[in-house]
Amino acid sequence: MSPASRKRPPVELLYLAVLLAYPLLVYPEDALFRLTEISIGMQLTYIFIYAILALGLNVVVGFTGLLHLGIAAFFGIGAYITGILTVPAYPFQLGFLAALALSTAGAALLGVLLGAPTLRLRGDYLAIVTLGFGEVTRFTLRNLEEITAGTRGLNPVPAPSLPVAMTVPLHWLGIEPDWSLDYRLFYYLALGLLLLVVVLLRNLEHSRLGRAWVAIREDELAATCMGINAARVKLSAFALGCGLAGMAGCLYATTLTSTAGPDAFDFNRSIIMLCCIILGGLGSVRGTLLGVFLLIGFDNVVAPILDGLIQGADINPSGNPLLTFSNWKLMIFGLALILMMRFRPEGLIPSVQIEAEMTKDLPGPRGIRAEAR
Amino acid sequence: MTLLKLNKLIVRFGGLTAVEDVDCVVRERQIFSIIGPNGAGKTTVFNAITGIYEPSGGTIEFRGQPLRRRLSWQVLVLCVVVGLITGFGAALVSVDVNALWRAAIKRNYARPGEPFSYAAAGHDAWNYMQGTLALDRMRGNRWAVRTPDGRRTLGYAKSHDEAEQMRSRFEKLIDAAGSTTAPVERDGKWVVRDRDDTENLASFEAEADARAVLDKYATLARDPAARRRSALVALLLGIVVGSAGTWAVWSRARRTPEVISRAGIARTFQNIRLFQNMTVLENVLTGMDRGLRGGVIRMALQLPGIRQQERAARERARRLLGFVGLAGKERMLAKNLPYGDQRRLEIARALATEPQLILLDEPAAGMNPAESIELNRLIGQIRDQGLSVLLIEHHMKVVMGISDRIAVLDYGAKIAEGTPEEVRKNPKVIAAYLGSEEVS
Repeated sequence: MSPASRKRPPVELLYLAVLLAYPLLVYPEDALFRLTEISIGMQLTYIFIYAILALGLNVVVGFTGLLHLGIAAFFGIGAYITGILTVPAYPFQLGFLAALALSTAGAALLGVLLGAPTLRLRGDYLAIVTLGFGEVTRFTLRNLEEITAGTRGLNPVPAPSLPVAMTVPLHWLGIEPDWSLDYRLFYYLALGLLLLVVVLLRNLEHSRLGRAWVAIREDELAATCMGINAARVKLSAFALGCGLAGMAGCLYATTLTSTAGPDAFDFNRSIIMLCCIILGGLGSVRGTLLGVFLLIGFDNVVAPILDGLIQGADINPSGNPLLTFSNWKLMIFGLALILMMRFRPEGLIPSVQIEAEMTKDLPGPRGIRAEAR
Repeated sequence: MTLLKLNKLIVRFGGLTAVEDVDCVVRERQIFSIIGPNGAGKTTVFNAITGIYEPSGGTIEFRGQPLRRRLSWQVLVLCVVVGLITGFGAALVSVDVNALWRAAIKRNYARPGEPFSYAAAGHDAWNYMQGTLALDRMRGNRWAVRTPDGRRTLGYAKSHDEAEQMRSRFEKLIDAAGSTTAPVERDGKWVVRDRDDTENLASFEAEADARAVLDKYATLARDPAARRRSALVALLLGIVVGSAGTWAVWSRARRTPEVISRAGIARTFQNIRLFQNMTVLENVLTGMDRGLRGGVIRMALQLPGIRQQERAARERARRLLGFVGLAGKERMLAKNLPYGDQRRLEIARALATEPQLILLDEPAAGMNPAESIELNRLIGQIRDQGLSVLLIEHHMKVVMGISDRIAVLDYGAKIAEGTPEEVRKNPKVIAAYLGSEEVS
């Protein structure tokens, strides 16, 4: 990042502060819980996890321009690797950090194995291959009954162990040092990992590799004529994207204390993730985060709150399904996408604008003219 | 000194010959132009040089070497590794990974909290592949003899020794059942003897019972042998297919644009191919890719070395932009540049790869007279920096003004070559451009 961008505190820091403070101010969570009877903080935790997944997908689809329709498979692979390595039914029982690292590495490796033979395909053909891989993975997970426990999923995935040094500061903040009693531990774990991923991706985006990804998206032939090894660059994008998906999968399984069934990782999930990054703006980290918060947030947070309000206002005493907001969710979602495609096909925060904005802070023309003279 | 040498270059598309027997020699610090009417095959020559097309015949040498990716030990290692992965994957599928998991992991870890030994699991996995019968310890020091995958129990024993004996008897029985052994009558009983006919394995009152037992174990006998065989075949086939496939893919992609660019030949395109949604500066930085170092982790962490390198690269990119006359426009998106600037940016991006030879494909197309004079100067400066320029151009002013040597293509063949003066007077060239006079 350029030095000048550090001077002006970006608006993201404000959002981050709100997210950091939300669980510590106990009141909003309690009020929302009374209204909706679900823990909004827990839902936010899942949103953070999906944000990591979407960022991974964004590396492949947004930066490098490879249409990947099977990201949910890698999400599932991460979850199942974590499950196999940690559940008490199997003898491995690794700790959380080891499972996180191995899930990420395992999903990345499978991404490379899928990518290496198929990255020569262009556009639609690659999309079909990844789509097929997603479905194959789901059925494989279901049919390897002995290993994955079929449709039941592996559980219980144990919670991470807290370092002893953490208990005192946690007590100080009023957080119970028990993962099953207090959602806030998972909340901060997921938020922390999300932050880490965002920072690392931003760095990569502005490095040699990030430029090579975008160059391949813009014009593959010209990029190879500039000495960029297209196969290797695409493979790195695939590995990173799938690895991040695996990491999100590990977090998901740990938070849910179960791998869920194979059907939790179906085509639907891939498409929702794709919608998130298209809505937010392909190829932009900020846009991706916005897309996830809007779409998944709408699904998991806004809809239950509205349901609770309608319930609370006694508008719908007879339980009429037309007056339950959740039943309109998909329709609103579809409508929003159609309107988006009509009025803002490039997404809410497209990467082009970001690029232009970002470069505003580079040492300006004055410096160059002085140099040229 | 000779830089680029085309020797009888031929490019065919199906039955259509686009370029035929073209010879060319570009020397160091030379501006060499290729001219000719539309459709003469000029851009095809460029594409063949830069590795976009594979020449159908003839050779292209750069500094005395054919431009091909070198065979290195990494490639061979890659072939072997891919082969092993493929073979291992195929073998896993063929032995039924589900049953293997059950035999190796689940049998050794039936209840949570039991001690688990990886050695025992590995041993059991090996036994499973071999098709050896498995021994399971039950509660109360009882033992069970089971099929390799642990699904069928053949018998129970009271001690380990007894279980071992039982296993060896069952294995002999299975072995016998798998061979052509038939029950024989001894002392009024029907006896099943082992394969080598040395001992009695079981005896029955009726022949039908003995045959039934043999039939029952015959399926077990066929099973492990067939599995062993198919696993081996899958493994070997996977290794062969995987490594041969990797080799085939590698050897077909030896002459790619990337290799040629890295060897020191850069190019621009007739229909501008900039990275439209990147800024001007980023376009040039992309050209510098091969000069930058650092792995993914170092880049993700933005370690000081990487930052410094990036800063130096930006500095160089700005100098290059100043050189082609785009100073001050570095923040603009490439697609928002005016046409002439886009052409100049393509030249800057090509120069960023630090080439020894730069191929310019109609750089003056669409420029006004003032701009093409400016371009002439720029091409001259590029040569003065020690580079050679291979130029396709239609503007005769540009071509005649700066070229050291000119080759004329018509219908894919070279019809003339020489200094601008010689080419200008060549009747064949005049005929190609203006049409020949009809003899009446």
